[in-house]
Amino acid sequence: MTIQYKAPIEAYTGAVREITIGTGSKTLKMGGENALPFHFFDQGAIPNPPHLALEVWDMPPGDWAQWVLEPYQDVIADPVAWAKKAVEYGADALSLHLASADPGAADTPPEASAEMVKSVAEAIPVPLIVYGPDDEKKNAAVLVKVAEVCQGQNLLLGPAVKENYEVIAKAVLEHGHCLIAQTSLDINLMKELNIKICKSFPPERVVIDPESPTLGYGLEYGFSIMERTKQTGVIFKDNMTQMPIIANLGSTCWKTKEAKENRKQGMLWEGITAVSLLLAGANIAVLRHPETLRHVKTLFGLK
Amino acid sequence: MIIIGENIHIISKAVSGAIKSRDAQAIQELAMAQSQAGVHYIDLNLGPATKDPIAMTEWLVKTVQAAVDLPLSIDTLSPVAMDVGLKMCKRRPLLNSISGKADSKEHMLPLAKKYSAEVVVSVLTDKGCPMDAASRAESIMETVAHANSLGIPNEDIWVDPILLPVNADQSQAKEVMEFIKILPDILPGVKSTLGLSNLSNGTPPQLRGMLNRTYMIMLGRCGMYSVIADALDRQLMAINRGEMPEIVKLVYQVMDGESIDMASLPADARDYVKTARVLKGETLYSHSWLED
Repeated sequence: MTIQYKAPIEAYTGAVREITIGTGSKTLKMGGENALPFHFFDQGAIPNPPHLALEVWDMPPGDWAQWVLEPYQDVIADPVAWAKKAVEYGADALSLHLASADPGAADTPPEASAEMVKSVAEAIPVPLIVYGPDDEKKNAAVLVKVAEVCQGQNLLLGPAVKENYEVIAKAVLEHGHCLIAQTSLDINLMKELNIKICKSFPPERVVIDPESPTLGYGLEYGFSIMERTKQTGVIFKDNMTQMPIIANLGSTCWKTKEAKENRKQGMLWEGITAVSLLLAGANIAVLRHPETLRHVKTLFGLK
Repeated sequence: MIIIGENIHIISKAVSGAIKSRDAQAIQELAMAQSQAGVHYIDLNLGPATKDPIAMTEWLVKTVQAAVDLPLSIDTLSPVAMDVGLKMCKRRPLLNSISGKADSKEHMLPLAKKYSAEVVVSVLTDKGCPMDAASRAESIMETVAHANSLGIPNEDIWVDPILLPVNADQSQAKEVMEFIKILPDILPGVKSTLGLSNLSNGTPPQLRGMLNRTYMIMLGRCGMYSVIADALDRQLMAINRGEMPEIVKLVYQVMDGESIDMASLPADARDYVKTARVLKGETLYSHSWLED
């Protein structure tokens, strides 16, 4: 006697919005799936693979482990050269972190940051993501200026948080860019911010950053929030969670003592965090080490 | 549904101030307002009552009973205050509450027997708060069995499933409804009650009533016997008197998964539909759920 078994196939009713960043020959599409992450066995389509970006700084980082600095040793003080090198390492996009603009660092004025972003954006053949400084007030001033100076380049700019989203979103929309909406590990507050932003901003231009804690420091929280975001969007058609997700994880990984104390361990730390968050549904991950990028791409069969 | 008015609550600054200064008029006005609103019981929430529990409880019970002729629900963690409170009640009181915690079973539960009071029994145990319908059932059966063994019949027991804020754990609203549905099967004859306003703790203050009222309608349909609620919410009391049947019907339609033509509804009715969808777990909660 043979027993017939037919695996159940899910068909979903919701879809993640497809967002394009960059312009002309350097564009990247993310999201667009109407199935849960990697559920190739269910009905639906996953038109875009997850993308991997590399982090570039606008100043030489003071506290990076020696093995993260190694790949960039000769270009660390020149963001344009650094960016070009990161592209050579195979990044699908770059994420430029304006660390020097922080009032606690060099407090670089918004105009200078904006010019620097422009020169990096123009020098590279891939789309550019920009993360402004942690300071909410300064970040708003910087991003508004960046949006203006890089008019029409369709950069992905952020983070916009509940304290400063209005002024940032206005400039991002006016000058033709996309927006990163960031909340701290709370799916209800994440949705809340999306609702507020989308009162005056098209949801088709929003990418969610729910924050990406690393292995051993809350990775499971980040995982479950991304997982639930996809579930509410794809299964329950929640209009305000159907945005692609960015996992900005390089910085959280390489802050840990585990990553700093040992080269291989650091690589694994970042790699495991990246793989986990991509499985949870992140559409793009920002990594710090080119070798992690290579490993993760190999694992997922990405070009 | 039986409404236990929650408004004399020690957490309220006005109430704690009035109790401290022994302002009888302020307390009596609150009691009368609830009575006029149509509550069936008045809850006297004394909190932990660590300071001078006897004198405070005596004064409060006497003050309230002088103004209104309603049964009281004595709500305190202090067995000393509870003993005094129950002793003074003119009408058969409700002991609010005992739980499955060892301390509560040992010191609080015997007072229900001593004064022949009805008693709220919550699902809490020393292990914490059960988080799904099945484990709520498991823990309440144990505690109720213990109460039965002391001679307290199911008919005198009001089961409290412990409701958590929707903002803290959205799934709990649904789990509590599931539990209320199975309660008559697992413990025939028991009543049920819960702290309704706890649902909306931490949500925008002007929207709390909408959550509370919608959930009351949903609970009512699941067979809930009673809620401890804000008696001064006029709409809530109107719903309970059966004066808003069209809203109740809409909420039932959401519960049944029927499709609803939102465009044809007035704004207020749309808000009830959106809220019911959140409480049913269909829409992810956010503070702006009505704008969703």
